[in-house]
Amino acid sequence: MSQFVFDPTKVMDIDFTKRTEYLEGLEAIKAAHKVLKEISFTPSLPDKGYNHRSLYVNVGTLEVKEKPVTQQMKDVFLGGRGFGLWHLWNAVKPTTRWNDPENEIIICPGPVSGITQYAGTGKSLVVTLSPQTDIPIDSNVGGYFGPLLKFSGFDALEIQGKSECDLIVFIDGQKGIIRIEEAPEEPVDSHVLAEVLTHMYAENDADRVNISVVCTGAAAEHSLIGMLNFSWWDHRRGCIRLKQAGRGGIGTVFRNKRIRAVVCRGPQVKGDLNNVADYETIAKTGIKYHKEIRENDPYQCMMRRNGTAHIVEIMDAYDLLPTHNFQYGSHPDTHKIDSAYWQSRCTQKTVDGCWYGCSMACAKGADGLVVKTGPYKGHTVTVDGPEYENAAGLGSNCGVFDPDYLLELNFYCDTYGICTITYGTLTAFVMECYQRGILNKERTGGLEMTWGNAEDDLEMMHQMARGEGFGIIAGQGVKKMKEIFIKNGWGDPKLINDIGMENKGLEYSQYMSKESLAQQGGYALTNKGPQHDEAWLIFMDMVNKQIPTFEDKAEALYYFPLFRTWFGLNGFCKLPWNDVVPSNNAQQPEAHKIPEHVQNYVDIFTATTGIKIDKDELIHQSAKVYNFQRIFNIRMGKGLRKDDHAPFRALGPVTTEEYLSRQERYDKQIAEEMKLDPTTMSLEEKMAAHRSWRQGRYEQLTDAVYKRRGWTPNGVPTLERLKELGLDAFPEVVDVVKLHL
Amino acid sequence: MIQVNGDGMEWQDGLTVRGVLVHRNFRFPLLIITVNGELVQPKAYDSTLVPDGAEVQVVHLMSGG
Amino acid sequence: MRQLRIDLSKCDAGRATCQHECESSCVEKVFKLTDPAMAALHIRELADGSGQAVLCDQCGDCVVVCPTEALSRNKLGVVVIDKKVCVGCYMCMGFCEKEIFERNPEWTEPYKCISCGICVKACPHAALEIVDVPEPAYRIL
Repeated sequence: MSQFVFDPTKVMDIDFTKRTEYLEGLEAIKAAHKVLKEISFTPSLPDKGYNHRSLYVNVGTLEVKEKPVTQQMKDVFLGGRGFGLWHLWNAVKPTTRWNDPENEIIICPGPVSGITQYAGTGKSLVVTLSPQTDIPIDSNVGGYFGPLLKFSGFDALEIQGKSECDLIVFIDGQKGIIRIEEAPEEPVDSHVLAEVLTHMYAENDADRVNISVVCTGAAAEHSLIGMLNFSWWDHRRGCIRLKQAGRGGIGTVFRNKRIRAVVCRGPQVKGDLNNVADYETIAKTGIKYHKEIRENDPYQCMMRRNGTAHIVEIMDAYDLLPTHNFQYGSHPDTHKIDSAYWQSRCTQKTVDGCWYGCSMACAKGADGLVVKTGPYKGHTVTVDGPEYENAAGLGSNCGVFDPDYLLELNFYCDTYGICTITYGTLTAFVMECYQRGILNKERTGGLEMTWGNAEDDLEMMHQMARGEGFGIIAGQGVKKMKEIFIKNGWGDPKLINDIGMENKGLEYSQYMSKESLAQQGGYALTNKGPQHDEAWLIFMDMVNKQIPTFEDKAEALYYFPLFRTWFGLNGFCKLPWNDVVPSNNAQQPEAHKIPEHVQNYVDIFTATTGIKIDKDELIHQSAKVYNFQRIFNIRMGKGLRKDDHAPFRALGPVTTEEYLSRQERYDKQIAEEMKLDPTTMSLEEKMAAHRSWRQGRYEQLTDAVYKRRGWTPNGVPTLERLKELGLDAFPEVVDVVKLHL
Repeated sequence: MIQVNGDGMEWQDGLTVRGVLVHRNFRFPLLIITVNGELVQPKAYDSTLVPDGAEVQVVHLMSGG
Repeated sequence: MRQLRIDLSKCDAGRATCQHECESSCVEKVFKLTDPAMAALHIRELADGSGQAVLCDQCGDCVVVCPTEALSRNKLGVVVIDKKVCVGCYMCMGFCEKEIFERNPEWTEPYKCISCGICVKACPHAALEIVDVPEPAYRIL
């Protein structure tokens, strides 16, 4: 059932080559650079996906060295997030915190990353100790940096130390030079900085496509929610584009190390640079997939036209679109920010895709936005997005249904270097606190944080970028705001804790989990915190009722987090797995797993590395890294059952308004599930009954999931599980576990 | 009465698969629909009649980010 | 734009009176290969004895989807590949409804008909011709 048919006449006529340029001061900026260190290296191309070396850069001591990628690293950690976690494990102590010099930022593309024949194969994984959670965060990001790093000769980039001046790390994979340059006069915000640096480091016009810049922006310096942008050169538009390693404050760590940018200049990309074991299989699988996109996407999700924003109205229709800080699941104004609008607003007459060969091409660009507020007021800019998470988080969750303001919020999040998901959820929390009197104009320093007030919402973001006023408090994230508000005596601590949508210190992403027990686990029984990239089970659970028992839900919460972890080990994007399906998918066994696509991944992995696997081995590969990450969390003082608790807003109705908005459903559950008579109960009694029932079910789910994952009731992987996974080969890993058995 | 994903729904003469989707506001594009265990192809949603007492399963594939 | 066309009523798809010199001349003279199955045009005989031609009509859909602008129209309106720029993603191949692209496993870049007319000269039945037709409108794909 397609939602609607694409009508090219409805697309706004916006010149996608026109925007404000920032190159005027380039020569002066460049002249101010001072080389702090320069070393040469021998560029290399991967062999079957691996270069077998990583690059270590210490921005404090200026040490630069190559490190071997060992067979054990490949066997146990595979690449991507696995390598990132392993490097980080070796770099930090249990007492290390995000702003200590030994904390690292590791950027690692994974063995498959960089092939050009299949959709979604240019991803990098970024790992660091998070300033929000104090445990490892991992973020999966597009853009060209990862593949260009690999084609320069390195499987991973490990950055450690803290600099005393602002600097740029430049990796030139064409000439074999690594240079650390003091960069005192660089512009701060990403849309300017990435453009300037792309032009600065490219030797000619044709070379720009070989440059990728990793950078952040002003708000990353004054908040804990900083994000990293990864650029690529959009040849048709004639501008840089940005993809984000958003979650968990990686950009904050980056600026704390005083890094302005990491720039990679790779060789010109060709189809065979990854030197795969079996090129023909990859070529054939890729062509088959591109054909599937051509034939099916216009009648399925229309990813090429709408990107992930195609689900805005879907989530609204299923009462799952977070509205007013996750209180409600739909809103009458959703049509103003639905995919029909974004389809007409985004440029359709050009090529999108954040790496070569991505026929799904969800990275929609909205050109010609004239900025209305802040330091770029009056500038014409290109905004990447909005993706679903941005439309929901910055939009409905904060009651903002003005698409131009939504684009502007999206633009400033990107260029200021803060995570749109995090900013959306924390602003929704601020607005609900304002609604309920926990905050007021005096406490916010004059900001009127009412639902939908996009101007004050933007002003809060500008404050965050300037390091001023209430913006500084908001930039600490929901967890720390809760502590501050409670300490100041600004409201009922129970209410504040109930409505602050964070777990482990990370803000929830933009789906309503209240009515899906499995998704409550999908969010909170996670390694890094509540991000939908482990498991999205709402339809299976709530709509299809496919997984009715605790054991069924536990099985889904075993399989899907492991399956999806695997994308991040290899440098794959998740979207091409399930945002289009083969025509005969419905006839396949376990159709919900999209078996043909799973087989594509198995085939591509084997064809890249020469290592023969099947779909079960794929899960086993992930399980090693997933359990290692759990143990890493335990080592850092978290990762136990107490850390997997969810705020009540994620589990059920906190307020009377929420209860009344779904009274029929909730009363029915009281009668049928709790075997009580709702007609004889007061509203308060009914809400109390729901709280106790829902929290009890969440605990039962936790028990079932831990059991299925091979963990103790406290959430600790057992020694038997470690042995199955080969993690018993690492005594220091076993030691962490033993302390908790 | 028919059952749709385990929930009761009033049946009426001439009810099609499309009618069930509209009634339940099932707007997601990636669906696998069976009526009494028989798979219904998307192009047949408008023409396939749902008999009284039928068990309709509308499996939504995964979505979300 | 220059477009290759065929009159199937003149063509001998079944090879009774020719050896598909169109295919062999294309593969040898244009692409310096030997296997006629790798030519940039194909003539097939269907089960009912009729002929079917797989020809590029220079529609330009591949130009629209190419991420690197390796595919573009030359001054004659013919769609050509710049091998130096091509990254071998094969989106052109997957999005070509007529499936006219060819791939040599030895090369990462695919190749296609460039309306050069060598096959026209080689055809003993004068079934092929190069015509000049207007460029079709840009399609959003």
